[in-house]
Amino acid sequence: METLQKLEILSSAAKYDVSCSSSGSSRMNTPGGIGNAAKAGICHSFTEDGRCISLLKVLFTNSCKYDCAYCINRRSNDIPRAAFTVKELVDITINFYRRNYIEGLFLSSGVVKSADYTMERLANVAKQLRLEHKFNGYIHLKAIPGASPELIHMAGLYADRLSVNIEIPSEPNLQLLAPEKDFQSVLNPMGLIKTGIEQSREERRIMRKSPVFTPAGQSTQLIIGATPDSDRQILTLASGLYTQKSLKRVYYSGYNPTNLYDKRLPALAAPPLRRENRLYQADWLLRFYQFGVNEIVNDTNPDLDLEIDPKLGYALRNPHLFPIDVNRADYHMLLRIPGVGVKSAKMILAARKFRRLNSANLQKIGVVMKRAQYFITCNELPAASVQDLSPERVRSILTMSERRKQLPDAVQLGLWG
Amino acid sequence: MLEYQYDGTFPGLLTAIFDAFNRKEQPDAILRPGAQGLLFASVYAVETSEEKADRVWAGIKRVGGNTTCEHLYHAFLSLDEQVEMAIFSYSKHLFACNAPVMTDLAHPDVLKVHKLDRMVLREAHRVLMFLRFEQAADGTYFAPFAPQYDVIPLVIGHFKSRFADQSWIIYDTKRGYGFYFNTQTIEQITIENPTFGSATGKLRQGTEHPDEDKWHELWRSYFKHISIAERKNLTLQRNFMPKRFWKYLTEKRL
Repeated sequence: METLQKLEILSSAAKYDVSCSSSGSSRMNTPGGIGNAAKAGICHSFTEDGRCISLLKVLFTNSCKYDCAYCINRRSNDIPRAAFTVKELVDITINFYRRNYIEGLFLSSGVVKSADYTMERLANVAKQLRLEHKFNGYIHLKAIPGASPELIHMAGLYADRLSVNIEIPSEPNLQLLAPEKDFQSVLNPMGLIKTGIEQSREERRIMRKSPVFTPAGQSTQLIIGATPDSDRQILTLASGLYTQKSLKRVYYSGYNPTNLYDKRLPALAAPPLRRENRLYQADWLLRFYQFGVNEIVNDTNPDLDLEIDPKLGYALRNPHLFPIDVNRADYHMLLRIPGVGVKSAKMILAARKFRRLNSANLQKIGVVMKRAQYFITCNELPAASVQDLSPERVRSILTMSERRKQLPDAVQLGLWG
Repeated sequence: MLEYQYDGTFPGLLTAIFDAFNRKEQPDAILRPGAQGLLFASVYAVETSEEKADRVWAGIKRVGGNTTCEHLYHAFLSLDEQVEMAIFSYSKHLFACNAPVMTDLAHPDVLKVHKLDRMVLREAHRVLMFLRFEQAADGTYFAPFAPQYDVIPLVIGHFKSRFADQSWIIYDTKRGYGFYFNTQTIEQITIENPTFGSATGKLRQGTEHPDEDKWHELWRSYFKHISIAERKNLTLQRNFMPKRFWKYLTEKRL
């Protein structure tokens, strides 16, 4: 089979893995070598679905011994199958890299023969790129559940990031859709990777030249909308992964109706993009805004409000905390104001050391006053706050202007709209 | 009304700032060649002096540190209509406070410089994102680009450390100059008789490496197949990747 044809098959087969990040590693180029990693990551292109291309994202092979209901590559699907040779993959990666098309390689695979067999192949591609071709660009490898600790360790020595996908957010539903898999087989490699990272960090504190292990950490992916799991279940799981497994990222992938013949799956008209967007917003609140899961979703609100972003939702459920005085409040509280992001909050802290800020200053700094105005006081006569107006009223004002420019649900929104 | 005219270079602007302080004047405008002058203004012609410029630069560095210097220089690269006056007022404010003021964002000129700095850096980052090399028959990798601001000098360090084992040329087609890296050193060049098309910067038929077409085809194919049809969203694509960059993108140009 021609390389071109293989690339078509094996990139199409990889497209539902949404992870695209190339950040978190500052690997340097070596003498006579090619490439380095940019700490902040670089996107190189954007596909017609508006997602970024940063890495060459392909499967090593799309043959798979598993038959997971949600996966296009399941063994019972009658689709063309292909496998790269190591040389082909290395050639494409390096030649794409030299032309500044990509930051590096994201290599995943269907499971053939055994977990170890597959893992070894993936790790070998990375090894060859690093050692034979002195490639120092970004490498993201999939850790195959069930692979031996030695092989995962080897992968971690050559990769910048490893990931194991959980895919289905709860054990019973995973049992239903992928009876051959279980949670433990996914959580085990995560634990191994976490330990590897901690050990390497410890060794490097003592000996600076000790080998780096997965410097950009690990990530995972959850499929949204293929099962009836609530946002509360999903976010609780994500939060646990961040705190207990020290994950760098959890990706949420709106379920794209595939395998329509499988009646265990819901019949969706389109992927739940709005819900996916809200989950990402909630995820940001967990990671950058000092929110706890229970502040975002709880018993009475197990699912995120699709109409308003989760931070606004929190503010409307807790009107007693507002209005917040932007000239006095600490960072933690500034972050809770709808319309104030991490950047604006830091700028407010820095700018108010020089002079007291008014609403015109805030607007120019980048605060979204349309939302923030109901939740702040600043250096001028106070406007009507959420307490004066009632949360219901503020909600209807804010959703009205949203509704006017409302896009159909199938359109993906920018992260903070 | 008082109008300063300078030669449009950064040292020229720093000299203008020196002269304004020295003459205890507050110009109403500092104009580069070709800029729209004020009506009925008296004109002072700034004569660029390296020495005066160095003194102002050293002063800014002493009070504001390297970060302030970078901010001001990046802002200058924007060639924004008000950038000269913003830099002048920023410097006055800096010297009056005798301490870094870059976070005094409620000050209009500090905010202006801050925003211009970010604008220019965003454009520089887009060079890292959207620049594409094409291999020529002699093995050199060639990349044409036309950034909105003169930012190629800000990013060549990135390409030097990343593509250290390949010789390359990064060429600013809009400003008619570029940089050549021979795997050892970088030199600034001007190409007199281009072998690349003026519209797309693509190497002319016969001057590119024999394998080049193959890699283009593979990359285009990858670009197409990694997209999810059910999620098509061209607006989002254009927001992230503005159309003005498409002519140089292997995956987008025809």
